[in-house]
Amino acid sequence: MAPGRPIPFGSLHAVVPATLLAGTTLLSMLAVQPVHVVLSLVGALSFSLLVRGVRATARGLAWQLPLLALVCLANPFFSASGSTLLLKVGPRSVYAESLACGATMGALMVAVVLWFEGAATVLTQDRLLALSPGRARSLPVVVSMASQLVPQMLGRARTVRATLGACTAAGERGGLRDQLVRTSTMLLSWSLEDSVERADAMRARGWESGMSRTCYRLERFRGRDAAALAGIAGLLALCAACAWTTCASWRFYPTMSGIGPWWAYLPWTVLVALPGLASVVDRFPAVDRFPGSNCQPVGVDSLTRGICQPRADCQRNGGRP
Amino acid sequence: MSALEFDRVSFTYAGASSPVLLGASLEVPEGAFALLVGATGSGKSTLLRLAKPEISPVGDLVGDVRALGESVRTLDPLASARAVGYVFQNPDAQMVCDTVWHEMAFGLENLGVPEREMRRRVAECCNFLGIEPWFRMRTAELSGGQRQVLALASALVMRPRVLLLDEPTSMLDPLAEKNFLALLFRANRELGITVVVATHTPAPMLDYATCALALEGGAARGVPLAELASWSHDIACVSGTFDPRFGAESARNSRSHAAIAADDVWYRYGRDGRWVLRELDLAAGEGEVRAIVGSNGCGKSTLLTVLAGMLRPARGRVRNAAAASQALLPQSPKALLSRETVIDELMEWSRAGGYGRAEAGAALGRLGLAGAAERHPYDLSGGQQQLLALEKLLLVRPRLLLLDEPTKGLDRAARERVARRLISTRDEGTTILVATHDTGFVRAVADSVSLMFDGGVTVTEPTDEFFANSWLW
Repeated sequence: MAPGRPIPFGSLHAVVPATLLAGTTLLSMLAVQPVHVVLSLVGALSFSLLVRGVRATARGLAWQLPLLALVCLANPFFSASGSTLLLKVGPRSVYAESLACGATMGALMVAVVLWFEGAATVLTQDRLLALSPGRARSLPVVVSMASQLVPQMLGRARTVRATLGACTAAGERGGLRDQLVRTSTMLLSWSLEDSVERADAMRARGWESGMSRTCYRLERFRGRDAAALAGIAGLLALCAACAWTTCASWRFYPTMSGIGPWWAYLPWTVLVALPGLASVVDRFPAVDRFPGSNCQPVGVDSLTRGICQPRADCQRNGGRP
Repeated sequence: MSALEFDRVSFTYAGASSPVLLGASLEVPEGAFALLVGATGSGKSTLLRLAKPEISPVGDLVGDVRALGESVRTLDPLASARAVGYVFQNPDAQMVCDTVWHEMAFGLENLGVPEREMRRRVAECCNFLGIEPWFRMRTAELSGGQRQVLALASALVMRPRVLLLDEPTSMLDPLAEKNFLALLFRANRELGITVVVATHTPAPMLDYATCALALEGGAARGVPLAELASWSHDIACVSGTFDPRFGAESARNSRSHAAIAADDVWYRYGRDGRWVLRELDLAAGEGEVRAIVGSNGCGKSTLLTVLAGMLRPARGRVRNAAAASQALLPQSPKALLSRETVIDELMEWSRAGGYGRAEAGAALGRLGLAGAAERHPYDLSGGQQQLLALEKLLLVRPRLLLLDEPTKGLDRAARERVARRLISTRDEGTTILVATHDTGFVRAVADSVSLMFDGGVTVTEPTDEFFANSWLW
């Protein structure tokens, strides 16, 4: 995610975006129907552009679009069905329906990957850990330590290699195998040594003290989270029902038919647009409750009555900010 | 009531032949800010750890250790965690969690503190120490100074009555050290927490300390603070024979004669990262000791790696006449230590360096490790590991020596030993670049000093001139 950009759904408990994105991704995987897939792809692409930025999305598309094209072009060779013959490649016939089915499958894969990438940006490790069950109170600590270990070891491997490389007075570095063995041995010893000190640091702060661990949660589940969750659950249920109808009526072969009524796609359109819309909304500052004033409200009473007391600098300037 | 009391305590590590503490008796009154001084290996860390049963070392303990009037033998881990806090030397190794908020809450979670109370304590501790602006940051993104403040916060949030700190500022630059000590002082005076700090550089803490103890020969004795004031941070000046014709002035005037020169060097980690080095110019003459000073994170270590040719500048160029005969001492000596025994470590590069066991044995003698040849390098203290890694580099007689914080964790005697060794190496014609916060060491060994700021070298002057003109250093 681009630095400094507000986190979408930052004002809601993590369970809300997790439910929305998990539900959307799951339905996207199950609804293999061109209109659903196209809408899902557009929603996922706009969500990715908004939360990950243009550069990161473009880097992803650089391998995702060729993958889409590959699946699209390969499908006629595995499923030579359809009624609209486009061309013949040797003994194989290529039908428009078969190509469309391949394009749908490829687009579905890309859409799902984009949803996952966007979700990984929005649901940071902290927020995901907030969803861990109450009984698994040590899980956040274990995950937290494990997530530090890999980057730390990679960083140390770079330091070890750079140090050895910089010591040219020590002669030849040896073969690749020798270097790998040397580096891995050093990293292992280093990590084991660190783990002894870290274990001491943990025990010094009450780890294994015999008490049942409690859990500090950065986010609290509030009424508005429950309302949002209920709304999303309802929308997901509606989408599932509509998708069931449209997917049941749709046929790729022998001719593409059974697209269903237009209104059946409305809930799905709202669902796939929701993550992107939420990230757009989060970019705009809250509406100023005291337009035209730079003065700070004082106390709850003044908030409810819309009264504010001038700051010292306001008083000096005759009330002007 | 005493906060901490040792009554004729002797302690011998398991497998060791001689005790590290021998009849040590001391008493720290409640509310005191006590300094525990002594040379490397004198038993300061052992003494502190003995007051914390859950991390006390394995060995034979004789005598009685009492914390807040209660024998630590009867203290269960829960009571100990609540009453006595502990801050370790290395801020990296003591970080358990990957975010600031989680690190602060970790101890409280272990104690089973209810969530509501936890929130209150974390909030108050953040306010007290000024952590709020980086409360949601990842620990990996913090500077060294911030990490050590976080370590302090993680201990304070548990509201201990006694706080033990083992060399807490040895890895900080002078400014970060002052900030840390000011916070520690506030915790002592405003919250009434008894503070015991083990250190071998007591000078910066004298303004805050109320009493001091020295560990010598395994025994503790009270030391007047006035006596510690004479323990200057500066080490004895080691005169050299540096020829100024090849020094900084000459190098500045004629870059073509410099042993190593960097011209308009820019470097950043990653395409979107900030510039760590920018418009950096530096030139050091043959046989010159150049100190590079600057705050934590100003790019000193990156500069050494770029000069060594291990990182390629995004712009500018580095000319290194000794590229084929150079050596780099990284901040952590563990990046150099790869063998099973101390003697094998020194012998690893013997073929390229053209030396034998006799020279390695002599080096062991210089390190004061003649009896530890068959020990694993990791069994040495942090300071001894640092000396071992440096000696390993010096044995191959490099023409260019790049040292990153070589005196980190060393006591005064060891720093003087390193200074003498570097001066003799310089006199053999080796160019030495030292990135360090240790101004006493700089005064003793450096011919010139470069101040790094905002990715570049702001000023380079001969050492005496630099300190005479400096307002801060």
